[in-house]
Amino acid sequence: MKHLFNPFEKISKNSRLLIVFVWVVIMLTFWFISSMGERHLFPSPNQVLTGFIELYNEGLVVHIGSSLLLCLKAIIIAVVISLTITYLSTIPVLTPIAKTLSKLRYLPLTGISFYLAIIISDARTMQVWVLVVFMSTYLTTSLLSMISSISQEEFDHARSLRCSRWEVLWEVVIKGRIDHVIEVIRQNLAIVWMMLVTVESILVAAGGLGFLIKNSDKFMNHGRIIALQIVILLVGLSIDFVLDYLRKAFFRYSKI
Amino acid sequence: MVYSTENTLLYVNDLSVAYDDKIVIKDINFVEKDVVRENNVTGQVIAFVGRSGRGKSTLFRAMTGLIKPTTGKILIANTDTDSENDAKEVREGDIGFVDQKYTLFRNKTVYQALQFALRKKDLPKEEKHSLIMSYLVDWGLEKAKDQYPNELSGGQRQRTAIIEQILCSGHYMVLDEPFSGLDVGNIEDVKKAFNLITTTHEFNTIIYSTHDIELAVELADSIYVIGYPTIDGKRANYGTIVKHIDMKELNLAWKDFGLDHIEVVKQIKTTMLNS
Repeated sequence: MKHLFNPFEKISKNSRLLIVFVWVVIMLTFWFISSMGERHLFPSPNQVLTGFIELYNEGLVVHIGSSLLLCLKAIIIAVVISLTITYLSTIPVLTPIAKTLSKLRYLPLTGISFYLAIIISDARTMQVWVLVVFMSTYLTTSLLSMISSISQEEFDHARSLRCSRWEVLWEVVIKGRIDHVIEVIRQNLAIVWMMLVTVESILVAAGGLGFLIKNSDKFMNHGRIIALQIVILLVGLSIDFVLDYLRKAFFRYSKI
Repeated sequence: MVYSTENTLLYVNDLSVAYDDKIVIKDINFVEKDVVRENNVTGQVIAFVGRSGRGKSTLFRAMTGLIKPTTGKILIANTDTDSENDAKEVREGDIGFVDQKYTLFRNKTVYQALQFALRKKDLPKEEKHSLIMSYLVDWGLEKAKDQYPNELSGGQRQRTAIIEQILCSGHYMVLDEPFSGLDVGNIEDVKKAFNLITTTHEFNTIIYSTHDIELAVELADSIYVIGYPTIDGKRANYGTIVKHIDMKELNLAWKDFGLDHIEVVKQIKTTMLNS
């Protein structure tokens, strides 16, 4: 038992499961205790359950679907834009475009949405493009770092096999790093998922989880807010799991 | 051992490479000819030795066309034409290059990698398949055919990297420190690979670098020492050939390692320490 408190100690799978189980029990106990009595910060488990049932009856599944669709649309457009710009950044004359886009991640979202609002009138399209602009900057940053981490030996190897420069780009960077692209999307997804809910709550369009949070917030319905937070967390984690599973299933050689 | 030399296979003249103002290698000149022995297919094994930072890797990158020389030229025999002693300037892909990490395409299986290496050869699909299969069998890789580089052992990676270059380029192959970090078994595997290559075709030429002087003396028939030259009593800070040992002339090539070889090792070590 003592070894569980030693730094860098290797532990068995059963011990690991036991540790997780104990932490879950501690957390639930804390939740129950802290939500008892007249005045409390967090809603009781019972309130959360009621909130969850209410949300389900109001079409939670449809709202999750709406958020996922928005996320998917934004990801597809952002990935296409970022990949094109990143791959083309290997051509010296086009390198500054990718580097500039990467630097734009320091721009505040409010400024971006202000200019997008002038161009786009439809709220749903506006939501998509706010996310696309936001995501593209982060994706491009990660993809640029993916390319710069490819070793000189890999490029030399392709060139020694009579690959033209375009073939090197295709074989080493594009085909050779598809699994890394999935990993980059997965790593950036957490920020995007968080942004998606914010964007949905600022720009009300076709419902979504952000819209539900905004509504619950208005009426100070704590049970619903926590229930929604749990749903958002679980959906986000599921997307993360699916992407990781897809990468491992389709790319046997991928050991990232 | 009786031998003669025929066609020029490699001609390097006044080669220098500089990055910005920094000269890495300069005044590199050497010629290697086809070594012919009666009743024996004899390829050429050329070793480059020298202390770290003397420009061996730069020389190899220039010889394989991966970097452009600042001055000078590198010519190899043009075996595509019928005329003897026809030479051509080396271009990317003419000389196979195997780096010390035995880099492979991470997303291609052994079979796919060899198929890719053959993509520019004008052969029917079936012939390419049987050629690949025969190499896989000869080099003990048939069981690893469908494995990716991260599923291969160090030895299997080496062999795949070497076959890839044999299939893609012509008769020349440059190996940058092929023995570094290998265990006794892997070293034997590389030795066997050298033997397989040099006994397959008269023109096959292996050029390799090593820090293991004994292995250079044991395997090579021509050894070049790269180091900083001493000019007018001052040591220059660029690499060049400071000594050439022709093991054939010394009658030490293609022989088991013996006392005479040890003497050569001593000479090389002294030269290296002074350059």
